Amino acid sequence: MSAARAATTSATTAERAERFDERFLRKLESLAILTRRSRISFGQIRAERRSRRVGAGIEFADHRDYVPGDDLRYLDWNLYGRMERLLVRLFEEDEDLSIYVLFDASASMGAGTPPKLDLAMQVGAALGYVGLANLDRVSLLPMMQTRDGHLAEGLPLARGKAHILPWLRFLSQIEARGRTSLAEAMHDFLRRHRGRRRGLVILISDFYDPAGYRQALDLLRYNHFETVVIQISAPEEIRPSLRGDVTIRDVETGEERELTVSPGLLDEYRRRHAALLRGLAGYCRERGIPCFPIVSDLPFDDVVLRVFRAGGLVR
Amino acid sequence: MGDFGFGSFVFDRFAFGGLAGTTAVATGAAVAAILTGLYLLKLRRRRVLVPFAPLWLPAGGERRSERLARRLRRWLSLLLQLVFVALILIAGADPRSAKVDRSGRSLLILVDRSASMSATDEDGPRLARARTIARELATGLGGADRVMVASFASGITAESGFETDAARLGAAVDRIAPSEEPGDLGRALDFAGAVLRGRPRPTLIIVSDGAFGADDLARAAAHAAGIDARFARVGKRADNLALLSFAARRYPADPSSVEAAVVVQSFRDRASDVVLEITAGADARLVDRVRLHLAPHERVRHLLPDVAAPDTRLVAHLIDTGDDLPADDRAYAVVPGIARARVLRVGDADLFLDGALLSLGDGVSVHRRAARDLEATRGSWSHYDAVIFDGVMPSPPPASGHFIYLDPHGPASPFPDRGVVRDPIISDTQKGHALLRHLSLADLNIGEARRLALGAGDEAIASALNVPLILTRARPEVRVVALAFDIRHSDLPMRAAFPLLLSNAIGWLGAPTAPEAESLRTGRSLRVLLPDSGAERPEVAVTDPSGVTRTVAAQAGAIEIPVAHPGFYRVAAPPAAPGAPVRTAQTLAANLADATESDTAPAAKLVVAGQTLRPPDPPVRRARRPIWWWALIAAAALSLAEWWTYHRRWTV
Repeated sequence: MSAARAATTSATTAERAERFDERFLRKLESLAILTRRSRISFGQIRAERRSRRVGAGIEFADHRDYVPGDDLRYLDWNLYGRMERLLVRLFEEDEDLSIYVLFDASASMGAGTPPKLDLAMQVGAALGYVGLANLDRVSLLPMMQTRDGHLAEGLPLARGKAHILPWLRFLSQIEARGRTSLAEAMHDFLRRHRGRRRGLVILISDFYDPAGYRQALDLLRYNHFETVVIQISAPEEIRPSLRGDVTIRDVETGEERELTVSPGLLDEYRRRHAALLRGLAGYCRERGIPCFPIVSDLPFDDVVLRVFRAGGLVR
Repeated sequence: MGDFGFGSFVFDRFAFGGLAGTTAVATGAAVAAILTGLYLLKLRRRRVLVPFAPLWLPAGGERRSERLARRLRRWLSLLLQLVFVALILIAGADPRSAKVDRSGRSLLILVDRSASMSATDEDGPRLARARTIARELATGLGGADRVMVASFASGITAESGFETDAARLGAAVDRIAPSEEPGDLGRALDFAGAVLRGRPRPTLIIVSDGAFGADDLARAAAHAAGIDARFARVGKRADNLALLSFAARRYPADPSSVEAAVVVQSFRDRASDVVLEITAGADARLVDRVRLHLAPHERVRHLLPDVAAPDTRLVAHLIDTGDDLPADDRAYAVVPGIARARVLRVGDADLFLDGALLSLGDGVSVHRRAARDLEATRGSWSHYDAVIFDGVMPSPPPASGHFIYLDPHGPASPFPDRGVVRDPIISDTQKGHALLRHLSLADLNIGEARRLALGAGDEAIASALNVPLILTRARPEVRVVALAFDIRHSDLPMRAAFPLLLSNAIGWLGAPTAPEAESLRTGRSLRVLLPDSGAERPEVAVTDPSGVTRTVAAQAGAIEIPVAHPGFYRVAAPPAAPGAPVRTAQTLAANLADATESDTAPAAKLVVAGQTLRPPDPPVRRARRPIWWWALIAAAALSLAEWWTYHRRWTV
């Protein structure tokens, strides 16, 4: 077991320190500049939702269909005259955006070369930094169990780029450990943030949860959190190179099974893995949750830009 | 079936040419045990950590059939490995069916490579056809036949051991080279009996033209018992003219003249005209040429009485015979060297006598002693071939030796003197006598002759009315030639007949003739005794007809020189003393000189020990592949199949 734990440890202390080095910081700053120039913000993530939260700001944002109960002052009569259709105006929300970056730090995230956890933390840190640079409040929360079985505490909401260094120090200490339970993690998150302002949740995980991902995503939706899903797979998980007679051991549950890995079994595995990803993407699409499946051998800055570009966040 | 039963089953039915059967079994058991142990170790699986096990497992877990299939794959892999090892061991043991092996023949193919096999009546030499037949026999083996290839002429050459490999047997056949020796069938069958003794189903196939003499066949009969002997015939016709012998000798009276005798025989069914040339020396100077006519199968002895032989080496050559066997169209002869007669002349100096003796040349070595030294020379008379008493009479007369008396007279004369005859005229001569060879005494003027009385064994060679003028005495211990007159009182010294008479007299008295030059036959060995040179192991340089010189060490004071080719052999004798220069001792001529070989008519059948040898059985089939070959093929195929199944995860 200790050998297995050592195997899932994402990196040595020295390697973790290298993960967030000077080069990483320069890239973060480049991303922040780029997003400011491109006028990228997390605000746009709240587009394309029927049950939108209309802000009290003065800047016109968009129209939507009138539903009984809407304030009649916001009906756009000009459009009604033209189109004979009742539409209400929406305005920019003026208040600060709270961004919660939740990243999976369970044992399964230690798999891959480089470990998926590394990319998860880099992406999380980068997205958080962009938020900090935009004067949003950002919180980093690892989804992992402490040694006594509780979910770990994360970093509270903070504003300003100066918080990036403590963040990086915090992230350097993170090891992939424990079991994945997305639903439990969401329960715990919601419990700790009950009564607080809603915001944006960026959920970074491999979504290898025996209980599934639906309950966790539904919990966030039901509690009015905007959600972005980033699913990480390692190249070895997409195209495993196992052969022959093996005893597989689940890195989180410790379950062992004897297998003879044949080409047929590999095909079956790939189908299941693809089905898992398809299922997640489909579930998110149906619920308007942006979902970004990525592979862990990509550079984190590519991932971040793809998240923004593919999510239509560029104005 | 128990282990012993299985073992008996295997060892009764198979013989093992490679690894012994028990060794193969023991090795196989050990390897199988090791292999199984390694395989069991290999069955310990690798432990692999995976991030999410449900992706690897079906919803209900592994099915029972999949577990069973997994176990079967495991044991199938082990079984393939064991079968592979077993096939390798089988190949190494080289098993052969013992039943088949016992019935297989031990076949000896004896190819005749004697001189007659060089006849070119088979669209090329007969030997080439014989090689083709031998190759077909060697490669058309039965299931377990083993074949040995050997060739024979006067000696036997084993070209291979007992083999089953067709390629090696073919190479052995190709090594058979022609020879110029006669064939010795008896010796060949003796060899065959020795190598086939104790072998299963011994079979001998003689590939030959059957040119063996009756003596040879009789000797062969003694060695043919118990062998299934067959005869494969080569040769189509008899078309040969041959020089069967060639010899030359010098005339004692004229050593520079040589008499040559050659025997030519036709082995054709038609009359033939052929030209015979005699050449001499290294430059082949033509010394004689005759045209001969031979009736069918006629043998002609031709004498050439007066062949100029400036050199001791003569070659006789039949020109443009157009026959099938050129090897016997040449013959070689060595003219004996000139033998020197040692003559002692006792008497006062006489120009005519000395001159006549001098004119005899290198054939005579003359020593002169004065008349007063007569008695002093008595002790040396036996060392000479002839002692001439010119006007001197030893007393008592010698009782043994060879003597020429010129004008014997007095009480010491060997012939009693009965008076004198004046002006005798030769009336009777024995013209055929050796003393008168090549000379004429007609009109010989003699002033005065003594009337000598003849005794027992005496003979008058020339007489004048019963008065012997030239007489001889031939007794066991002493031979005498006497002239009953003083040559100075005749005109004999001034005639050409005088030196001839002296030469004839010396010859009649028993002058050494040159030894017959030894004539050799190919296929024999020449044994030469060496003079004691003091060397521990003297060596002799022998130069063969091709010019190759090799050194032969003497054994017990003699050397054996194998004579394989016709031509001249030179033997350089060791020095007379250590450090002395080597001198050439002998030149020898060798010829085929074998009527049996020159008679190229192929035998219609070969009868040995009263039995006509049957032809060999036709070649059975192509040599089959042995079991080990198939075992290796199967092992290679199995290895390929295992590789293919491994990559498809049908095996592990």
